[in-house]
Amino acid sequence: MGCEITTKERAGVINPMYDCQPAGAQFAGIGIKDSIPLVHGGQGCCMFVRLLFAQHFKENFDIASTSLHEDSAVFGGHKRIQEGVMVLAQRYPDLRVIPLITTCSTEVIGDDIEGNIAHCNAALKEAFPGRKIHIVPVHTPSFKNSQVGGYSECMLSVIKTIATHKGAPNGKLNLFPGWVNPGDVMLLKRYMREMDVEATVFMDTEDFDSPMMPDKSIHTHGRTTVEDIAGAANAIGSLALARYEGGTSAQYLQTEFEVPNTQVNTPYGIANTDAMLQAISRITGKPIPESLVRERGIALDALQDLAHMFFAGKRVALFGHPDLVIGLAQFCLEVELKPVLLLLGDDNSKYKKDPRILDLKAKADWDMDVVCNADLWELEKRVKNPDYQIDLILGHSKGRYVAIEHNIPMVRVGFPTFDRAGLYRKPTMGYQGAMDLGESIANTLFAHMEFNKDREWLLNTW
Amino acid sequence: MPMVLLECDKDIPERERHIYLKVDGEDTRDFLPISNAPTIPGTLSERGCSFCGAKLVIGGVLKDTIQMIHGPIGCAYDTWHTKRYPTDNGHFNLKYVWSTDMKESHIVFGGEKRLEKSMHEAFDEMPDIKRMIVYTTCPTALIGDDIRAVAKRVMADRPDVDIFTCECPGFAGVSQSKGHHVLNIGWVNEKVGTVEPEITSKYTINFIGDYNIGGDTQLLQKYWDKLGIQVIAHFTGNANYDDLRGMHRAQLNVVNCARSAGYIANELKKRYGIPRLDIDSWGFNYMAEGIRKVCTFFGIEEKGEALIAEEYAKWKPQLDWYKERLKGTKMAIWTGGPRLWHWTKSVEDDLGVQVVAMSSKFGHQEDFEKVIARGQSGTYYIDDGNELEFFEIIGLVKPDVIFTGPRVGELVKKLHIPYINGHAYHNGPYMGFEGFVNLARDMYNAVHNPLLSLAAIDIRGGAAATSQEAAE
Repeated sequence: MGCEITTKERAGVINPMYDCQPAGAQFAGIGIKDSIPLVHGGQGCCMFVRLLFAQHFKENFDIASTSLHEDSAVFGGHKRIQEGVMVLAQRYPDLRVIPLITTCSTEVIGDDIEGNIAHCNAALKEAFPGRKIHIVPVHTPSFKNSQVGGYSECMLSVIKTIATHKGAPNGKLNLFPGWVNPGDVMLLKRYMREMDVEATVFMDTEDFDSPMMPDKSIHTHGRTTVEDIAGAANAIGSLALARYEGGTSAQYLQTEFEVPNTQVNTPYGIANTDAMLQAISRITGKPIPESLVRERGIALDALQDLAHMFFAGKRVALFGHPDLVIGLAQFCLEVELKPVLLLLGDDNSKYKKDPRILDLKAKADWDMDVVCNADLWELEKRVKNPDYQIDLILGHSKGRYVAIEHNIPMVRVGFPTFDRAGLYRKPTMGYQGAMDLGESIANTLFAHMEFNKDREWLLNTW
Repeated sequence: MPMVLLECDKDIPERERHIYLKVDGEDTRDFLPISNAPTIPGTLSERGCSFCGAKLVIGGVLKDTIQMIHGPIGCAYDTWHTKRYPTDNGHFNLKYVWSTDMKESHIVFGGEKRLEKSMHEAFDEMPDIKRMIVYTTCPTALIGDDIRAVAKRVMADRPDVDIFTCECPGFAGVSQSKGHHVLNIGWVNEKVGTVEPEITSKYTINFIGDYNIGGDTQLLQKYWDKLGIQVIAHFTGNANYDDLRGMHRAQLNVVNCARSAGYIANELKKRYGIPRLDIDSWGFNYMAEGIRKVCTFFGIEEKGEALIAEEYAKWKPQLDWYKERLKGTKMAIWTGGPRLWHWTKSVEDDLGVQVVAMSSKFGHQEDFEKVIARGQSGTYYIDDGNELEFFEIIGLVKPDVIFTGPRVGELVKKLHIPYINGHAYHNGPYMGFEGFVNLARDMYNAVHNPLLSLAAIDIRGGAAATSQEAAE
């Protein structure tokens, strides 16, 4: 009995859990208003990531490529960068930010990104006097880290490039939610309103769920503005909800501009949400309102109907982004689900020392495996093993066939969830998210009972 | 003035040479869009990379083959769950992707050992699988890893496996098209002729350039079965690796997608004297014509006519029902290349649909020659179209439906224009007689969706028309 923390032993990967660094950088880059990321590499590095975002959000996002061809691989891609920046500036008059995102190829070639940016800045100044375009250097070679690190790296570079000096305090809270869905961003913004706290969300992706309007206007873009980013240095504090996705930016603002940073557990589940709200209250001096106490009570009331009757003792495998997996494992314990397998999908050495994982390890009086640098073959192998019973899978759509092939109920959560409708709109964080997720789990288990004729009569009287 | 400089391209005037407006009375030989040329950086082009042209389009279709991608994780992740090519063995090809997950130390010290280890692991983990394709990617090509040498070593260690290597990094060429070429030529050089297929019919073909999108291959297979024609190899829909090693034994190469697989047909002709016959598999007229050509080659015309009559009796009434309701619909096609010329005339002849604009990501000169010859006047023919050009062209031609990919589909949805998945289909197959009825049905359902007219209404009253005009 107990928790074992290991690393995948194979060198290769069969069915990866994460995409590479530039993909994560692109996700952070589209969260900025009036921003078009420019990916310096082969065309696939941007085309497939755009497709991935479209699969998940059912929206189109504008991302450009320097379209690296063979000659650039030999002679360097400087001209492709300079031309790409100029073409974007000319054809997109509202453009204010260009995250310039490197890839494996251009890092191996060794293109001088900072030098090219200086060149571009001079050229832009001459061509467009009075217009400021921030070109952000984002070094994200695909052979380091993963989409998780790439997201964090782009966020940090954006802050470093645009939040350059401290001005008058703006009384706002910097909120770094990590790589979450628009549903989570909307929930967090609602909580801020209910607490009467003015906050800037890095990045505000609310409009990643955008409407069909009678005037055919297109609203699919990030909402975090250049002014919001510049103002990050003047905030009363930063609250980082994800250790591996944006946490470093909050730390940077503390070191550089003395904006106090608070890192909390990612708010999945009741207790983690409690801690987040109490931290906000502490930082801002604003009380937690009755409305949130009530929302908490409704969530508890709903989950109480499910936990010890249906969830208790069910063995759960979780995979996805580290902050999500760890947070959901904590939520599982609240509702008496047993997290028996946690898969974290890259080689970040910090996972093994994460205090939340160490806390889970201390609490575990059941067998629990934490596998770092894992792929989805690690999940499939265990699922195939009759001694390693899995009752429920919590993870994203890339693992769908493990569930389908082995007839295991699976609740889609995280990124990407392209094989279920509308999940990006629903929160997973907060009290409401905990309740919604718990009810999704219950309904998935119920449908599974019915289709497999496994004690489906239980539900006659529930 | 048939070459067109769009308003959005005023700062990149070289785009004028890529956009053609066909005009009555002009000699189309004087005007041909530039194609297969480098992309202008920063234009938001729709192109992918040549690695995906090899792995995702052709190699990854095979139903019994490990696709080992030697590079960082993204190249594997990104070419997984983005295609619809099922198989009759439970879709092994859709379920798995393999990567050597290159890290910085392998970039510095070389990744060959990592590759070798990953290849052995993959065979060990899936002991029933004995075939593999290894692909280079941008960084492993740049550092010069010798994947052929590694493949030889692994084959020496494992006598029961066969491995093909494809050296086609993403930066090679200007689009996915280069990847098609590299895989075609590599395969014919190294693998064709290494397996002797069992011959079960007097009539044998290879069916080339069809990837079982939405079940196309499986639908057409019913026709070949009825005609008593043995398909030695499907290149590569629903195919086994070893099927493709026996391609040299077919009497005829029947080619559907000339862009992605015309190369191998040409090589098979040169090296083995197998004639090449190009057909169009989409549309009633074209499919019937294709069946007639193949049957004429084998002298089994009566069988062909019987099949066509049977299929027409079954499907033509349904097609006509849709034709009655689709006549005059304006359609745009923004796909890879060949589907432009496969579809423009077939939707016109079979469904009365007018194709008003077409954009090709990776078509070559011969694709544009064909599509301009087959297409209508007043239609725009675009090479490597980009997002702003699409907006402008939509304003000019006002299509009722656009056949394109899901991402662009999400974009045009905001403009109240429905899209049909022109790559993977909405509910395919679309090839053959039954397939074209599917296409017609999907187009009908898209164009007649009541939500589209609801979207145009401004519930505040009155303002809708004004704001709509303002947006246009």
